[in-house]
Amino acid sequence: MSISNYKAEFEKMLNRDYFSKSLHLYRKEAFAQLEKTGFPTRKWEDWRFTNVSIISDGEYKISEISDAPQTTPNIDSYQMEGVDTVVIYNGHYQKELSSVPDGVALLSGLEHFERKNGKFDTANNSPFDLLNTAFTDSGMCIVVEKDTQVEIPIRILFISNGVRSIMVNPRIYIDVAESSSLTFMEHHVGDAESFFQNESVFISLENNAQLNHIRIQSNSEFTQNMANINVNQDADSQYHFWQLVDGGKLGRSNICVQLNGENAQCYINILALSKNNQHIDNNIIVNHNSPQTHSSQFVKSILFDTSTGVFNGRTVVHKNAQKITAHQTNKNLLLSKKAKMNSNPQLEIYADDVKCSHGSTTGKIDEDALFYLQSRGINKQDAMELMVIGFANEVLDKIPHPEIKKAIHTEFTVKLNRLMA
Amino acid sequence: MIKIENLYVSVEEKEILKGISLEVKPGELHVIMGRNGSGKSTLANVLAGKDKYKVTNGSIKFNGENLLDMLPENRARAGLFLSFQYPVAIPGVNNMYFLKAAVNAVRKSRGEEEIDAVDFLSMIREKLKMVDLDESFIHRPVNDGFSGGEKKRNEILQMVTLEPKLSILDETDSGLDIDALKIVAKGVNDFRSPDRSFILITHYQRILNYMKPDFVHILMNGKIVKSGTMELAKEVEKKGYSWIEEEVAEAA
Repeated sequence: MSISNYKAEFEKMLNRDYFSKSLHLYRKEAFAQLEKTGFPTRKWEDWRFTNVSIISDGEYKISEISDAPQTTPNIDSYQMEGVDTVVIYNGHYQKELSSVPDGVALLSGLEHFERKNGKFDTANNSPFDLLNTAFTDSGMCIVVEKDTQVEIPIRILFISNGVRSIMVNPRIYIDVAESSSLTFMEHHVGDAESFFQNESVFISLENNAQLNHIRIQSNSEFTQNMANINVNQDADSQYHFWQLVDGGKLGRSNICVQLNGENAQCYINILALSKNNQHIDNNIIVNHNSPQTHSSQFVKSILFDTSTGVFNGRTVVHKNAQKITAHQTNKNLLLSKKAKMNSNPQLEIYADDVKCSHGSTTGKIDEDALFYLQSRGINKQDAMELMVIGFANEVLDKIPHPEIKKAIHTEFTVKLNRLMA
Repeated sequence: MIKIENLYVSVEEKEILKGISLEVKPGELHVIMGRNGSGKSTLANVLAGKDKYKVTNGSIKFNGENLLDMLPENRARAGLFLSFQYPVAIPGVNNMYFLKAAVNAVRKSRGEEEIDAVDFLSMIREKLKMVDLDESFIHRPVNDGFSGGEKKRNEILQMVTLEPKLSILDETDSGLDIDALKIVAKGVNDFRSPDRSFILITHYQRILNYMKPDFVHILMNGKIVKSGTMELAKEVEKKGYSWIEEEVAEAA
């Protein structure tokens, strides 16, 4: 483990005059802790199948002003109908390209920090949370006040471009107050030739709040991506998470949900599509801390070539969390002999009156189904495509917003057809 | 329509069909009866082109063409249809989308234009009536979560939609309650015409109460050992197969 590169960058960052000194204490504390723990190795239980040496040994530099676009970047190819978009380019907020829907307050990281009276939420589920706290650069906070139904989805478009090995640490807070609702989308795109993104998202849902969180990671195949998603849910709140990962060389999502209030519900749906030597890891922990809480994890992977994947889903039902329901399903489709999937669904149950299920399947294209389609006149190639799309459809159908669903569905179909051609 | 001559078929080195000859002419309905393991489903699958079956001898001519040289999809496009004994579920693939893809694949191969969504929907509504299914049925994933009867009716729906020349019905009647059986039989009867042929493979004589076959064949140990008309099926229903076995043994 060599953290020296990161240490040098950390010193550089502390000297930046445009970062608030009020956060330095948290940064320093986090970095000191990171120096102690180091980056994960494959000896760590939760990291057995994911090698992060490309990050720990990497020479990523913090994003400088010179990494920001010199002129307004062209985002035409990333346009999306019916959403308001906030653009972050290599870690730099592009105000002139950004708009937010009615009902949403967009605060800077510092404003949010002040709003919370100097309380800085942190997580330390993994060293990457610490890394993010230490290096937070692009902070965005989306605040929805009580009883506000935000009609138009807000999208943060993260663009990573350029040839320099840079690292960005976005930190997103989403606070949805009581009885309010929001659809939030994060869309990661770009053609970077070397890039490390370590993103942390903190979501707080008050009583009866609803959040649709759609995350699309379609950036270049030369990027390393960590997503650390922390969700805290009060009573009767609903969290719908929907993720598509098809970009990045390495993509790991650390999703940690706390169901703290009665009848809090979370639904996690993920589709991973990997090719070449991509590696996509979905690591999920759902904690049922209260009675009558509900969770589901539905994760599917489609693997081409020599790509690899991990599903590590853990549902923990704490002692007083009676009458909860929890489901985990992981299904994987291997489209190459050399593709590999590691699946590990886990239930830890300390309560006695619960309804839980989990299951995992990994397999190739069903030859009987293929023959069935061929016997109806559909050629083998088209039949395969139909089946793979069908496999994906079960997740695509769960996108919690009709227009976004249509857009993602269309784009996904095009990508898949290209891969299978 | 189809002419099978001296057909020998093996699966994993085991010989299942041992010299089958059968000719079906346009408009005819042939019934093949036999016990489990007699080779009925093997014959159906070989005709449709399933690749785990190895033809070691014999030939099959389908409207003059060598059927065994054709890919499964090309057999379908040429007008051959198999109603599966166990229709396969394809989760995530919408039944209507699948049917439309199948119809268009067949059309394309004939050099016809693809059918558009509106025309297809009005066509499929007519076909649904023929098998007594409501429209919600085509918006469900193919055979996924279907009851046994629904699966078989979906096969018949596909048949009447694709309008094949030769339909092979592999135990389409098995496991159906009497109402579903009548619907399936009616679907087939309404579909009969002087230029369409059928091979009905069955275990039971029951469906023949609702259909009028031209010929009945008894398949035993990979061979057609006896052929006749409806009377033969009735005799089997009454006396079982053992008397035929005895006949075969005596002749040997």
